[in-house]
Amino acid sequence: MAGLAASFGSGAMTNSIQEFKEAEVFFVIGSNTMEQHPLIASKIIQTVTQKDAKLIVADPRRIRLAGLATLHLAHRIGTDVPLLNGLMHIILQEGWEDKEFIKERTENFEGLKTVVAEYTPDRVSEITGIDKDSLHKAARIYASAKRAMIIYAMGITQHISGTDNVKSCANLAMLTGHVGFPSTGVNPLRGQNNVQGACDMGALPNVYSGYQPVTDSNVREKFEKEWGVTGLSNKAGLTVTEMIDAAESGKIKALYVMGENPLVSEPDVRHAARALRKIDFLVVQDIFQTETADLAHVILPAVSFAEEMGTFTNTERRVQLSGQALRPLEGTLPDWKIICEISSRAGYPMKYSSPKEILEEINRVTPSYGGITYDRLKDSWGLFWPCPDADHPGTPFLHKDRFSRGLGLFEPREYIPPAEPVDEEYPFILTTGRVAPQFHTGTMSRKIPVLEREAPKAVLEINPKDARRLKVREGSMVAVESRRGEVHLPVMITPNIQEGVVFSTFHYPEHNVNELTIGALDPVAKIPEFKSCAVSIRRI
Amino acid sequence: MKRIKKDRILPFLKEMNKTQKVFSPQVSDNKDLMFIPLGDGTYDENIGKTTISPKIVLFPQTEEIISFRGNSISKITDSSKTLLFGVRPCEVKAIQFTDRFMTRDGLTDPNYMSRREGMTIIAVACHEPPSDTCFCIDAGRMPYLENGYDVQLFDSGAYYIAIPGSDRGEKILEDKNFEAASREDEVGVEGLKDGALRSQKNKPGVKDAIKRMAEDRVDEAFWERLADRCINCGGCVYVCPTCTCFNVYDVPSRDGYIRCRSWDACLHAGFTRETSGHNPRPTQGARLARRHEHKLKFDVINFGESGCVGCGRCSDACPVGLGAIEIIKEVNRV
Repeated sequence: MAGLAASFGSGAMTNSIQEFKEAEVFFVIGSNTMEQHPLIASKIIQTVTQKDAKLIVADPRRIRLAGLATLHLAHRIGTDVPLLNGLMHIILQEGWEDKEFIKERTENFEGLKTVVAEYTPDRVSEITGIDKDSLHKAARIYASAKRAMIIYAMGITQHISGTDNVKSCANLAMLTGHVGFPSTGVNPLRGQNNVQGACDMGALPNVYSGYQPVTDSNVREKFEKEWGVTGLSNKAGLTVTEMIDAAESGKIKALYVMGENPLVSEPDVRHAARALRKIDFLVVQDIFQTETADLAHVILPAVSFAEEMGTFTNTERRVQLSGQALRPLEGTLPDWKIICEISSRAGYPMKYSSPKEILEEINRVTPSYGGITYDRLKDSWGLFWPCPDADHPGTPFLHKDRFSRGLGLFEPREYIPPAEPVDEEYPFILTTGRVAPQFHTGTMSRKIPVLEREAPKAVLEINPKDARRLKVREGSMVAVESRRGEVHLPVMITPNIQEGVVFSTFHYPEHNVNELTIGALDPVAKIPEFKSCAVSIRRI
Repeated sequence: MKRIKKDRILPFLKEMNKTQKVFSPQVSDNKDLMFIPLGDGTYDENIGKTTISPKIVLFPQTEEIISFRGNSISKITDSSKTLLFGVRPCEVKAIQFTDRFMTRDGLTDPNYMSRREGMTIIAVACHEPPSDTCFCIDAGRMPYLENGYDVQLFDSGAYYIAIPGSDRGEKILEDKNFEAASREDEVGVEGLKDGALRSQKNKPGVKDAIKRMAEDRVDEAFWERLADRCINCGGCVYVCPTCTCFNVYDVPSRDGYIRCRSWDACLHAGFTRETSGHNPRPTQGARLARRHEHKLKFDVINFGESGCVGCGRCSDACPVGLGAIEIIKEVNRV
């Protein structure tokens, strides 16, 4: 998100999902779309199979979508920047760039040219493992289309070079004029029904709602006035992973966790568990007992989405009203009511009567949500932000005629390999992800019998050649060890993964691969490198 | 033969609602046409084609089947009386098909059959297809019924012409909202039937597909190629009026356990996976093949007719264009 915000001025999908149906080329990089965003994938699938749109899939694994792809680029893990720079190199060499777009709408093109000049097909082929013909073909398909979309997800962001990867995607789109038009843009897919909304509402350490920086005194004054307080902090706070470190060093004494399960989801989770045990006062607010809640001093039982009403903002920036379907269980409250009660007891009476009243405040203090009112949402399928006033129709695609930041900024990046290279002791790369039936740490999905039956346990995906070398068969148990921990998993042998790479999921606390993952962070977005760490594997 | 003025339907259904639970097609809060219990004045004149077939009344998405309390185990069945108004002929065909399946080889599904016995069906013939995806004639069924209903209605504009199909139906037509039909109405029904047969244009070629599948002309590679698209949502199964597979599981209750069953789908990997981990249908292609072979091959062998009644719901629902219509056309291209 930080990457796209720097390049374009806004860190969200540039297009709506409906527009996928008119795209001519999809360049899917680091998104296992069929497993993780199946309904968005269905739009891609229909457009590819019925309208002959072209599909380029760049993913180290042969993910399901690769089966429908015009071209599958199975690059080495962590080589996204050189891959994207290499494509830009070819585009410039062939003169396929959009000169007018670059001139009118962007800045620092010279800087980009200088950097990508070094990423010759020979060098890129050597770094990424992709042959030169495929690179050339991918560059031609993407650059020559009128309406081309880049689609990415955690495969791009969960690296120490995550922000660089995102900026490189933005560079590629700007170089070819593929942003700011219908069915044309850069589309990061968000993984939860309201993660976009949570970010929009300022559930981030450095901004108020609508990405208004806490460091901006005008913004601070506006919020102080709205809330009738003075002295709001002008310092950015900590991200989750930084909080864990601060807990370990004793800088953080109390932690209030809402709807998160860091004891399973954090990288290097043994370290996280040690840190959380040091907390003097841990509060967990959730709908089920989680592993993190087991450590809590106080548990606040919240209600599920079906037991409350409010709004969600989905991945395409569409704000939708959600109604209440079930009566809450006794002793539970909606999250907003819990927060109001805590705040009131802590000395700041928070007296909202309903989600509607909260949305009214959002409308007042958040320019991009100014016109997204309850009454308009009630009679529609939602509104796309930015929607600054009551007469504004909403914005299905961003950056038309002008980027949110004015000119689009080319920020060329160099190749930074993953934090932990393989060596003799730890010769495999472990990459982690998810499977369709389970959601995150499984606090909800593992309670649903059919979903649990679909994907009952963690497995370690391994290439047949590696399996032969390790003398393991389908289902054999292996010990996977990194510098941080050891986990025992059954193997699943599949040609869909490269030699020297293994894959597993973090849905299963009883076999938590996050005991192996590394806490190395992207320096800007502070996202951990879940996609790459070094492990050894032995038969047990 | 009788007839009923359309503006008398609501009073009639309200009368019926006094002695049984009446369901009719109505637009839900989420803008889907669904079979919904009759409320105050909620009858919707547009019968249309509901998103989910009336299967949902006979075989609910989730139902409790057994309760365990201490040492006592008791069956839970629902024998309440229902009346379904606005059932389409293909849906009646699907119910008749399911009746045979649920009582096959002397084994009766008590939950299904107890509901079925208490159910009255008022069907509405289709004098034109309710949607572009309808293909009942091609699927060997008809847009009107010869049997299987209590009352069948034909839409003649201001009136529905009503034909009884059972003793229960005869009795219903004694309701004061019905009036005697005229000789013209009788002739009119024949005209409506002719029109119904002529107006259906969608013909994917079910007979040819059945023949090709019987001859084993469709290979594994065919299914794998199509299954590359399948996102495994199970939607085709859930909306299908003849799909009745379910999963069984226990949930704790206040003083014991309740055994429940919920709709399940053969497209899910876990549906056929065995305890050892072995899966006889190991790929999405094998599972897609299973589903369509069941409908177009094994149902024909076991029941003498295909399990697809041509309602087209799977083609309406599938997000990737893999409904029965598309599959049948692909099979015929082999």
